[in-house]
Amino acid sequence: MAADGAALLSLVEEFVSGLQDSKAKDAATGVRDGQFTILQLVEALGLSLTSSQPHTRARGVQLLSEVLQDCYGNLTEREVEVLIAFYENRLKDHFVITPHVLNGLRALTKSTVLPPGSAVSMLRSLFQDIPVQSLKMEERSYVYNMLISLMESREAELKGLGADFVFGFVQSMDGERDPRNLLLAFQIANNIIRRSYDLGTFTEELFEVTSCYFPIDFTPPPNDPHGITKEELIQALRAVLTGTPKFAEFLLPLIIEKLDSDVQSAKLDSLQTLTACVSQYEHKDLAEFLEGLWASLRREVFQTSSEKIESAGLTALTALTSCLSRSVLNSDSEDSLRTFLDLVLNDCKHHLCEPDLKLVWPSAKLLQAACSASTRASHIVTAAVMPSLIEQYSSRTQCSHRRTLLEVVQRFVQSVKISQSLENEESVFLAFSQPLCNMVFSALTESNSSLQITATSVLTSLAQQTGLLLDSDIELAVDHLTRLLLTEEDDRVSLAVVECAGALAQLYPAAFITKLIPRLKKEMFSEPMEQDNRREPSELHSHNAVRQRCLSALAAVSKQPSVVLESTPVLLEVLSSAHTGSASFSVEEVVLACRSLQRIAEQVQDTEKTGRCFHDIIIPRLLSLALQAALQGEGSSGCRSPLVEEVVLSAMVPVISTSCSRLQPTLAGQTASRAVSLFLDGDVSFLPDNSFPSHIQLLKQGDSWSQSQMVCLLMGCMCSLPCSVEVPQVDQLLSQLEEMSCTCSHPLSYTAAAKCFAGLVNKRPLGDSLDSLIQRTMKRVCSELDCTTSAVRTQAFTLLIWVAKALLLRYHPLSTALTDKLFSLLDDAELGATAANGFSLLMSDSVDVLNRSYHADVRIMYRQRFFSENSAKLVQGFNAAPQEKKPNYLKALSNIVNKLPKQVQVTELPALLSLLLEALSCPDQGVQLSTLSCLEPVLIDPPLALIQQLEALVSRLIALICSPAMNVRIASLRCIHALSRFPVHEILPFRARVLQALAPPLDDRKRLVRSEAVQARGEWFLVGSPGGR
Amino acid sequence: MKEALVLVHRLGAHPDSRCWFVSWSPTGTLLASCGGDKAIRIWGREGDSWVCKNVLQDGHQRTVRKVAWSPCGNYLASASFDATTCIWKKKNNDFESLTVLEGHENEVKCVAWAPSGNLLATCSRDKSVWVWEVDEEDEYECVTVVNSHTQDVKHVVWHPTQELLASASYDNNICIYKEEDDDWECRATLQGHASTVWSLSFDPTGQRLASCSDDRTVKIWKEYPDQSGPGDVLWKCVCTLSGYHGRTVYDVAWCRLTGALATACGDDAVRVFKEDESSDPDQPVFSLAAQVTKAHSQDVNCVAWNPKEPGLLASCSDNGEIAIWRFQEEN
Amino acid sequence: MSGGTRLENANPVVFQRSGERLLTASEEDEDVHDPIDDREIFDLIRSINDPEHPLSLEELNVVEQVRVKVNDAESTVEVEFTPTIPHCSMATLIGLSVKVKLLRSLPDRFKIDVHITPGTHASEEAVNKQLADKERVAAALENSSLLEVVNQCLSTRSI
Repeated sequence: MAADGAALLSLVEEFVSGLQDSKAKDAATGVRDGQFTILQLVEALGLSLTSSQPHTRARGVQLLSEVLQDCYGNLTEREVEVLIAFYENRLKDHFVITPHVLNGLRALTKSTVLPPGSAVSMLRSLFQDIPVQSLKMEERSYVYNMLISLMESREAELKGLGADFVFGFVQSMDGERDPRNLLLAFQIANNIIRRSYDLGTFTEELFEVTSCYFPIDFTPPPNDPHGITKEELIQALRAVLTGTPKFAEFLLPLIIEKLDSDVQSAKLDSLQTLTACVSQYEHKDLAEFLEGLWASLRREVFQTSSEKIESAGLTALTALTSCLSRSVLNSDSEDSLRTFLDLVLNDCKHHLCEPDLKLVWPSAKLLQAACSASTRASHIVTAAVMPSLIEQYSSRTQCSHRRTLLEVVQRFVQSVKISQSLENEESVFLAFSQPLCNMVFSALTESNSSLQITATSVLTSLAQQTGLLLDSDIELAVDHLTRLLLTEEDDRVSLAVVECAGALAQLYPAAFITKLIPRLKKEMFSEPMEQDNRREPSELHSHNAVRQRCLSALAAVSKQPSVVLESTPVLLEVLSSAHTGSASFSVEEVVLACRSLQRIAEQVQDTEKTGRCFHDIIIPRLLSLALQAALQGEGSSGCRSPLVEEVVLSAMVPVISTSCSRLQPTLAGQTASRAVSLFLDGDVSFLPDNSFPSHIQLLKQGDSWSQSQMVCLLMGCMCSLPCSVEVPQVDQLLSQLEEMSCTCSHPLSYTAAAKCFAGLVNKRPLGDSLDSLIQRTMKRVCSELDCTTSAVRTQAFTLLIWVAKALLLRYHPLSTALTDKLFSLLDDAELGATAANGFSLLMSDSVDVLNRSYHADVRIMYRQRFFSENSAKLVQGFNAAPQEKKPNYLKALSNIVNKLPKQVQVTELPALLSLLLEALSCPDQGVQLSTLSCLEPVLIDPPLALIQQLEALVSRLIALICSPAMNVRIASLRCIHALSRFPVHEILPFRARVLQALAPPLDDRKRLVRSEAVQARGEWFLVGSPGGR
Repeated sequence: MKEALVLVHRLGAHPDSRCWFVSWSPTGTLLASCGGDKAIRIWGREGDSWVCKNVLQDGHQRTVRKVAWSPCGNYLASASFDATTCIWKKKNNDFESLTVLEGHENEVKCVAWAPSGNLLATCSRDKSVWVWEVDEEDEYECVTVVNSHTQDVKHVVWHPTQELLASASYDNNICIYKEEDDDWECRATLQGHASTVWSLSFDPTGQRLASCSDDRTVKIWKEYPDQSGPGDVLWKCVCTLSGYHGRTVYDVAWCRLTGALATACGDDAVRVFKEDESSDPDQPVFSLAAQVTKAHSQDVNCVAWNPKEPGLLASCSDNGEIAIWRFQEEN
Repeated sequence: MSGGTRLENANPVVFQRSGERLLTASEEDEDVHDPIDDREIFDLIRSINDPEHPLSLEELNVVEQVRVKVNDAESTVEVEFTPTIPHCSMATLIGLSVKVKLLRSLPDRFKIDVHITPGTHASEEAVNKQLADKERVAAALENSSLLEVVNQCLSTRSI
């Protein structure tokens, strides 16, 4: 102990007189390790603590405080008590000592054994003796941190101080300027408010001392080391100001005042603060400020040119109205909601009667914002405005006025939808349902297309109001929609009508089953020639247009199973009549019928019921029709069945694959085995109209393309099934597909066979059997490719690329062998360009096979992986390739990079930039175009590497402005446009050059090019120009 | 028409900008140009081609609208939209900025030296015309500010021999000034143009003045002794050239050597008119002797005859180019 | 715009915007020359922002397609614009914005004339004369506060 005592004394001596700061650490270690106690340290410090020299005393206290920072956790209650008494006393000492005293107290406040009463006495001394704002920044933070610690641990004691605590705090933070300390001070103020400290008579003082920072105007210094943002300060201060209704009488006038500011950000902050505070307030807090608030909100929404301000203003109005709606009505209190809404209505309602003036929209938006706040508000507002809107509509004759009125109505209906979402009450529009319906129906009969379009969306909104429309209204609506479908020529109107029919059919299927579908069917199957032989070609054309609209309407309304059961037979009948020739449907119409079936397969609900419909009826019927057509033979294009046309077949594939991908497992398994037995064994037993010959061999048709191309339907059945479905006779199937894809000469057939093969390979389980299958196929493919005289090199290449894709998607280890083969083909004289384009297929999503919705095994980020494994190969290959082959490499590169996600492009760009810039100067237009399209998105948020290469980039882009190809000119101008958003100081040196280069394309012979040039040049003019950027 | 304007040379003088004005040095060997790029360039002939000898930058903060050589050829004055006039001194083959004349409230539109070289006139959008006196120490002092126009003053020009000054304005009028008791006063206001008068040029004798205007005409004014009072002058319009110009006529230049009258027009053309020698001096007849309709691809802003080489004409345009033409007369 | 200042015309008539020009097959055909027509010129100026309202010149009917005349072969463009009220103090500024937009967007072979629709403004002649004076226009564009307002009128709005 004696030895320790000596060691301690020498430590103290070295720290205090020797000014060796490191000794504080040693002393702390000593206390922590139990070599001596804190009180022994105080004893050892004795002389320095009582020295007549303030600096010696300061040094002494400093040592003690620093040790406490490390050891406050080990102190006993008694020690804490003694130390606090000591420090409190020192607060009155010389100012050079104060910082160390505060540091020591800060440590002690963190102690868990703070004796009762000490927090209060500590704070009393602090508030009494220390003018906080005369301290340095860091020392002030000690004070704030002490308060925060004590508020966490000694809330009850602090509250015992009563309003003195708040007063002390107010004095302490008054005048604070440092943003770091402000965050602490706002936190304390927020605690005071949220934890209900007694504000006593100091409510206004607390408000004043914090609200003087409102609105926050703070720009962090460049390279800000503290990372404090303006937004953090705004949020912290907003929490304080909006924390208590006690501030209402001060805050609301302040908001009204600041809203008058010229600074946009101040307005925005004020509006958001208003929105936040009213959620805490009651109506009586607002009462005396309602007029002022309303005047400010109205002014902002009426006058602003900023969408942000407008939307913040409307949100504030909704919040305000919501607050007033919470007031409980009783007989003797004034209805403040009604009073307020009277103000709003008084200023806004009359503008709704001026549908051609500017203020109609701001007024409507304000009323709708109020309307959406509560059910009561929506009743008051709609009761006041709807009659006059309805009256206006009938008295106005101009279409543009009527349309505006209808749009205003639409927004009202929608705003009420928001407010009623949780309540199952009847619609507030119930009283107006008949006039509203009349208005919509009258608009639907107008000849003005935009009026009709608006009417359809109002109709959709009305239908979504619970219990608003009667059955008779729906029937009338269906009649109107049907009439428009059959007669309206304007595409935009038809589109809107179809959309509206879809929405209504979801809610009211019955009327569509009984009225719309039979009427559409009748129309589609009526032959114009039969009715009247003297019809003009234009009428024939319009009959075709009607059919097309009917087909898309049938799809749109088919969401409920009951509708699907009625609509799909009609579509299938279109296909079979087209096949038999009993009704004259064009190839285009047959394709549309398939698209409609596909759309139905995608959108139907209740997969059980509708799944059966697809499985039992639709798929067999499609296969049967296609097979009948195929067996009829090829003939000349005029007399053969439209169902053998490639476009029709390609449209049938997604109907089958979409429905198969959504089938229940048992049904899916059945479909698989039926399809396999049809294609391998010629089993036609499940097909309707079973009058087929025996011994059909669809996969062994070298000569008949009409039969061999049926393989694409096999792909539809097999390649979209869930992985769990067992594929029967899979080895035989794969072997026949491989054979077909390598030998058949019909492009659709061998491509579909290759895709089907790839689709199956992608889902085969890992293992030796898959590996040997791949190796066998690879061998065959390579031997064909390596033989330059082979007649089936293209077929072999097609199989290679699809299998490569199938394996790449699932990260199969053998995929590398296949993709390496692809890279080597870039040097091939015959297939080089095809191989380069193949990389686009490899990297993009394929629609009919090998995608996630068809349950293919697609690993995330396979593109990135492929890219990172192969980019070096590509660069090497490029460098080694002879000049005339280089474009293939560039094209392959741009195809790959083009499909990478943007983040990857940005990180990989530096390594590839020189190659991409090279690609821009490559004479191949395809390469130019592909490279430009991969550059454009990257330019929006340019990585540093790109900025460093600005000179080269600008020169090459400028050179491409003169390209003979219009698309290249357009794409390069878009890139130059995007460059204008680079950091101004980087691009300013190029401004004159770019503006000069952009002058000739203003006179381009193509309007599309001129328009891009105009936009790019306009933006470049603004670069570095006042009011620009 | 046997006369013709033959292109001798074309120069991209002020790239990415417009060339507002060109001016020949008194010996006819140098051509000064100025433009929207805030620069002045000095051009000289080398063999068959014209090359840029000097670029005078950093003298002005905005467009340099006009330049003028002193009669001795050793000084160059430049008027700028930055409200100042710069005096440059030629030293060996270089130019240095000698002094900056400040005082106009806004854009200075024109500057001109009197034939003696002791007086300088400037005019501005501030509606005033200032006359400056130059002493041997190259000190400039403003001797008069005249406010006779009600709108911007576009151009000032001195009489070829006398101390008589003419100015043209956006107020459609022309004013003629003379010194009287150390003060310059407007002695005549020439009214007749229907829109802005852009430029003026005296004939070789100084008895007649040509003016050109936004009204697409050129007018010839002639001085007559005024009966009403001694010293006063009377100018009458004796001829109006209309129907020749498709847009605003921005400049007119009367050749001191040949008497040919050249115009610069907003319809991109340069035209040369000759006076019928037989016509009545009180009703002179001018006819179009030569024109180049697409002399430049944009507005022609200025035409200037070489003071020593008959028929040599310089023009400049909004596209930043200068063209040098030879006006070849009938043999 | 300050909250306190009142607009000269707080509630102007708002007109509907014309839709985007429909793309034709010939516009996509490399070999066809598309002449510059009235609609193309109108499309250049219709989206110019009004200096006071958050509305375009088209929505305020200050510019209309029928008041645009272009002759591509002769390289001339004439635009008439109609101030919303006869004493509109912004008329010169609006005209200047239209002129600058056309200067920046058209090939420099064009002669561009911008006038007030006859009979629609108290100082029609004075404004027209100013807009036609290219020296004044050039000087105005070297005045940074004026250029700032013009640039704001020509910016795509995003505040």
